[in-house]
Amino acid sequence: MWQFMLSAGRAGLRSRSIQAILILGALLVGVAYLSASFSPRQPQTVALDVGLSGLRMTLVLFSLFWVQELVAREIERRTVLFALTYPVARGHYIIGRYLGVLALIALAAVLLGMLLWAVVLSLGKDYAQGFAIAPGIPYWSTVAGLWVDAAVVAAFALWVASFSTVPMLPLALGLAFAVGGKSLGAVAEYLAKGADGDPELMRFAPVIHAIQWVLPDLSRLDWRVWPMYGLAPDGQAAGLGLMLAVSYAALLLTLAVMIFTRRDFE
Amino acid sequence: MTARVQYKGWLVALLLALVFIATSEQLRSTPRRSVSVEMQVALPLFVQVFVAAGDRYLAANLAAIRALVVATDRMRPEEFRILAKVQEDVSWLNPAHEDNYYIAFAILAQYGELDSAQTILARASRARFFDYQPSFFYAFNQWYYKHDPAGAAAWMREAAEKLPDPDQRLIMQNFAARWMDKVQDTELAIRVVAAMAKEARRKDFRAYLETRVARLRQLQQLRTAAVTYRERFGKPVTNLQELVSSGILPVLPVDPFGFGFGFDPQGEIVLRTSPPRS
Repeated sequence: MWQFMLSAGRAGLRSRSIQAILILGALLVGVAYLSASFSPRQPQTVALDVGLSGLRMTLVLFSLFWVQELVAREIERRTVLFALTYPVARGHYIIGRYLGVLALIALAAVLLGMLLWAVVLSLGKDYAQGFAIAPGIPYWSTVAGLWVDAAVVAAFALWVASFSTVPMLPLALGLAFAVGGKSLGAVAEYLAKGADGDPELMRFAPVIHAIQWVLPDLSRLDWRVWPMYGLAPDGQAAGLGLMLAVSYAALLLTLAVMIFTRRDFE
Repeated sequence: MTARVQYKGWLVALLLALVFIATSEQLRSTPRRSVSVEMQVALPLFVQVFVAAGDRYLAANLAAIRALVVATDRMRPEEFRILAKVQEDVSWLNPAHEDNYYIAFAILAQYGELDSAQTILARASRARFFDYQPSFFYAFNQWYYKHDPAGAAAWMREAAEKLPDPDQRLIMQNFAARWMDKVQDTELAIRVVAAMAKEARRKDFRAYLETRVARLRQLQQLRTAAVTYRERFGKPVTNLQELVSSGILPVLPVDPFGFGFGFDPQGEIVLRTSPPRS
């Protein structure tokens, strides 16, 4: 299993993904920097806010890209068969690859997180805003939350890859999952507060409730109000959010292992 | 390809080029619907969240930037309604957004969208427990636009509680106490200022508030006497001395601040805010 993880890491680093990280990182930082100029009173907070949105999107895209590159494409090209000739269970391949992807997105999160932080700090030189942003633990906890978010998306894409015969399917469904899971929190909250008294929208409330049985609320892993405004997340809510993410990812991985073990490559 | 076919091809191309140029010219002179494209629509919240890839904070930032770049000097009243909707949406997506509540106070309140401005400020005040400004702006709007001194004073006290500097806190609490002078319901004003005095930590400020309470009680006494005067003589009192000469009051109360009492344009007895001209 560790061999598969290490080979995933090596392949991920060898591929052009590192250049992609740098390019996307530069773009992310550029957008965050520009967005600060639209804020008259809290440029650092807005730069951090937009930067964290960009970081989340980048991490999700990377996790999908690496699952695509390291699993879906290997299955498509049949190179996976070489890996499966080793005398280990097929499940080890899936788990190893997943851990490899987790390590790669953790690396990306740390690199991009440092870059974003440097830009946000540099913005503070020209204008001292009334309420300072919170560095250190609040910031890095938020980045860690986004990494967990991307890890859940990666688990979903890996599950799709385990049965998909169309190579682009994990990427397409993974993107829809990432957007859907992230939107779910805002939509559910809007309906829970009465949807501004719109009875047409309220008809969807049971549907949204039912969707939460199959789709995790990924917005629960977004703790950015902590570094932005010093509003620490509620411990219980954050803990439950993490448990939701870990149990969902583990469930999908288990399903992926089961499907992949039975899969016929002939 | 024969020369004839080629000729036909050129003819079709020429015809299409003429149609294109004619359409383009026609379109150029057709007026556009509005110059203020920024504020023509307010997208439903769901759509905004989906457009931002499910990220409510990004959706909030996009809408806030939209509200910031709009040229308000060229906007029509119905476009201010849309701006108000966009900003209310931002405050729902991220109630703590500082720029949003600030421009809601600076722009919306002045252009007839006071209720939206107050909604945004109230949400910001709840989310930003460390920031006195949303409550302060809410209090100001309540005082200046809504002519509700009791509501304004309540929000002002909330703003004061969030200030770290005790001196500034006192200044703001003083504002709240002074606004209570304008409340028509003197009993309510007395109860509020007396409660403030009870909560005051500094002794001198407590004594000051208690003096304000005494002053409000004097005002209440005068207003009650004025009602009796009207019932007895069938006309409103126009001079405070009449209350004494008619025997309703043994003596006129003496304002501890020395400003005394007067009449507002409606003939109602009020507290004076400056010493009487000698």
